[in-house]
Amino acid sequence: MKQAHCIYQNDDHRWLAIARDASKPGYLIDTNEYLVMDGEQALLCDPGGIEIFPAVFSALSAECDPTKLAGIFASHQDPDIISSLALWLEFKPDLKCYTSWLWQSFLPHFGGSESTFVPIPDPGMTIRLGSLELQAIPAHYLHSSGNHHLYDPKAKILFSGDVGAALLPPDQGGLYVEDFSRHIRHAEGFHKRWMGSDRAKRDWCERVSRLEIDMMVPQHGAIYQGPDVQRFINWFAALEVGVLRG
Amino acid sequence: MNAPEKLKKPPRSASELTCIVRVNEEIKSIVATAFRINLMALNAIFLAKRAGNAALGFGVLSNELRRFAQDLTHHMASLRDMTSGSVGSVTGVVQQQRNSAILLQAIRLSGDGVPGVREARKRGAQRLAEQHGRLRALDLRLRAAVEETQQLVELGGVLARSAKIEAAYGGGFSPALMQVSTDFAEVIAQIKRSLEVLGKERLVKD
Repeated sequence: MKQAHCIYQNDDHRWLAIARDASKPGYLIDTNEYLVMDGEQALLCDPGGIEIFPAVFSALSAECDPTKLAGIFASHQDPDIISSLALWLEFKPDLKCYTSWLWQSFLPHFGGSESTFVPIPDPGMTIRLGSLELQAIPAHYLHSSGNHHLYDPKAKILFSGDVGAALLPPDQGGLYVEDFSRHIRHAEGFHKRWMGSDRAKRDWCERVSRLEIDMMVPQHGAIYQGPDVQRFINWFAALEVGVLRG
Repeated sequence: MNAPEKLKKPPRSASELTCIVRVNEEIKSIVATAFRINLMALNAIFLAKRAGNAALGFGVLSNELRRFAQDLTHHMASLRDMTSGSVGSVTGVVQQQRNSAILLQAIRLSGDGVPGVREARKRGAQRLAEQHGRLRALDLRLRAAVEETQQLVELGGVLARSAKIEAAYGGGFSPALMQVSTDFAEVIAQIKRSLEVLGKERLVKD
């Protein structure tokens, strides 16, 4: 069963990672969901698919009042990111979903109406949550053609969607990256195949290098902390992407 | 986390979707038969003309049977429109039932006292009731339309029986006219059977 782990706290400004669902069926890819909270408001990043909704909802409810959920941030349009949208709306019909403008007419196939979606323009935007000013950072073509990450300048946390994702074996289920060299082997094949554009990758590496990041939190795998964040950016910058094999 | 248990069993609305498919298939079969009657009636009109004065009554009845086939086609077209509309309503019920079942499982996992769940369940139940209400109204309209069509087909049956009687006065053409009127009676009986099946189908199980 998924559990919510507090990965950052400063008064009532918190980041929770909802991760590691050992009881989910093996045919579903494991996902991490992140909840950003400030005071009376919360934003859920990449809430996940329909099948894992009960586990995510229950883990979230254990740590916070779900009625405080003000919005959902969808890094892109994939089913493991946002196919649970209709269920979150079932619980809270006035929920806002922040996502790239590109998916504004695609995501309603998962649920929601015109008023549900707040389109994020290509250069990104500021998303206000309580006293926080979260930044939607462009990450187009990494891997989706309309893709954003979410940066919290106060907590210095970057939610990086599929960038930094690793398909970890069961014996390496730690929440944080402990041994970068060992960990990154499980990220290599994923990034080579899923990240389609070398130019987009270089742009992203330059963009995020300018940010102060203490933690990079991906949608799959483990969380990068401290020097491992820059290690990852350097590794990714040098990686050949958009290749089938090799 | 396993797929919610309730989802492993097909929801009741899945059988309602199957019911719509059966209704549509039956409608298609009646439309095809109506087309056949139309052609048969045209042939019968030509045959009656060739038979001359001996088959005047048969000719009149053939014209009526042709009109009946056209009316039947219109009836079936409106029935088909109704069932197309009901697909949307049944799908809405399926989605709502699925969402409610998953939300219920999430609530059970979360334990008692999670704020907002009572309201969410109430909203879900209300939406489901509204969708069921729409489906019920459609079901009533469909049944009324089937009954109306059954009355029309009764008239067709009377026409076919009268044609058989008229065929007996057809002189040398009598065996041919008799054969045509027997064919009419058979296809109309076939339509009656299809309408009986349609009349038994229910879009909403009570």
